[in-house]
Amino acid sequence: MEEKKLKIMVIDDENIVGKRLKPALEKTGDIVETFEDGEKALARFNESPFDIVVTDIRMEKIDGIEILEQINAKSPHTKVIIITGYATVEVAREALSKGAFDFIAKPFKPGDLREIIKRASKELRA
Amino acid sequence: MTILEKLNMIRHKHSGIRDFCIQTIRFKKLLENANALLDLIDDGNEKIRGEYILDRHYVISLIDRVVEKLGMIVYDACTLSPEMGEDLYAHYDANKLKAEELIAGKKPFVKAETFLNGGSDKTPITDPEYRLLSDVLSWFNGATDITVINLLKKACVDGIKGIEKIDDLKNQILSEQSGLKISGNPIYVVDLWKDAFAPVLKPRSLSDIESIPLKLLLMETLSESSSANTKNRIEGEWVVSASEYEVSLMNMNSDFSLRLDATASGYEKSDYIFVFTDNRLKPEKILPKGFHTEKTDSGFLCWKLDVFPEAIEDSLITIGRNIFG
Repeated sequence: MEEKKLKIMVIDDENIVGKRLKPALEKTGDIVETFEDGEKALARFNESPFDIVVTDIRMEKIDGIEILEQINAKSPHTKVIIITGYATVEVAREALSKGAFDFIAKPFKPGDLREIIKRASKELRA
Repeated sequence: MTILEKLNMIRHKHSGIRDFCIQTIRFKKLLENANALLDLIDDGNEKIRGEYILDRHYVISLIDRVVEKLGMIVYDACTLSPEMGEDLYAHYDANKLKAEELIAGKKPFVKAETFLNGGSDKTPITDPEYRLLSDVLSWFNGATDITVINLLKKACVDGIKGIEKIDDLKNQILSEQSGLKISGNPIYVVDLWKDAFAPVLKPRSLSDIESIPLKLLLMETLSESSSANTKNRIEGEWVVSASEYEVSLMNMNSDFSLRLDATASGYEKSDYIFVFTDNRLKPEKILPKGFHTEKTDSGFLCWKLDVFPEAIEDSLITIGRNIFG
């Protein structure tokens, strides 16, 4: 039986991240929406929840921790994966303690993120 | 300890051997920083291949880390060769300026037809982050004068020249009274840590020093009180400074210049071999295959790093055979 397509949201205020991740993640047939603005992403999430949210931790308007908290409150089953920069691993640990599914440090290969998404989708389908 | 021995200890604090140990340790620090710098450059080269998701923050942080490491390397070289300080810092400032221009976007991006993966992948670089990274890599090791690699080469050569200039030190090490000569062999051995703090009280023997890389270097050649096969030997007198996992070797003759530094701890990330030969001695004469070689006006800088410990060990044995015959 064909598996249900995952709805994945990618949030990063650096345009290149969404631009490069979208085609890489769509290869597996999942539905991917990308956002550079965290507030717009949350508004979209409120309209229609996503299975997986991949968010950068350090953004100007609203940071990844706040996005994580709001998504956890709205949709506890959604798996949130945090993207961290070079020097923010400590913050990533904080994110894990607040309920993030996992984190990945930039620069990373899309294949590495896909592995994390694969684990998240297994948990979603369990 | 007798009063005479105590007095010797105090006098030794200002000895040439102590200075030599300090200079050798400083040069090793320079090489450690150089290895870290080369790692950063490799990291940038890996990321430009297009397989990675990266952002501007990564590129800026790469620039910052390279400038920081360059600063450490220049400091080390100035300590070894203070008369070159002004020149070294002028080159460092030029590199810092280049870094600032790249960060500020003052320099134009690479040409539009530049491709990922060094041109083998025909995907053009269009994302500003990748184009900036491409510019940064050109600054690291491009065709212009002001590059990170050029300054690294200059710092290494100036540092080596600084050590070689200490004639008093050479005389002291090579004197019969130093006690450092290995009987029957053209080699003087300094214990890098112990000899810096206390005078050598009895004639040196190879068994006095437990050094893995020194043992590898001499494995197939010299032995205590025996005359080795001199067929392939590079003639001359040699000073070796060693500790458990480290060795430095330099020749003490004026007809050519050769310097080797190596760490062989069995840990891939810290093990390396670095060799400098001046223009009178071709590196191929002593080095096995697999060394990266950079030509400078003063000679050749060659290194092997990031390889399995066995490759370092085999190389040291081969080099030892090629030098000592």
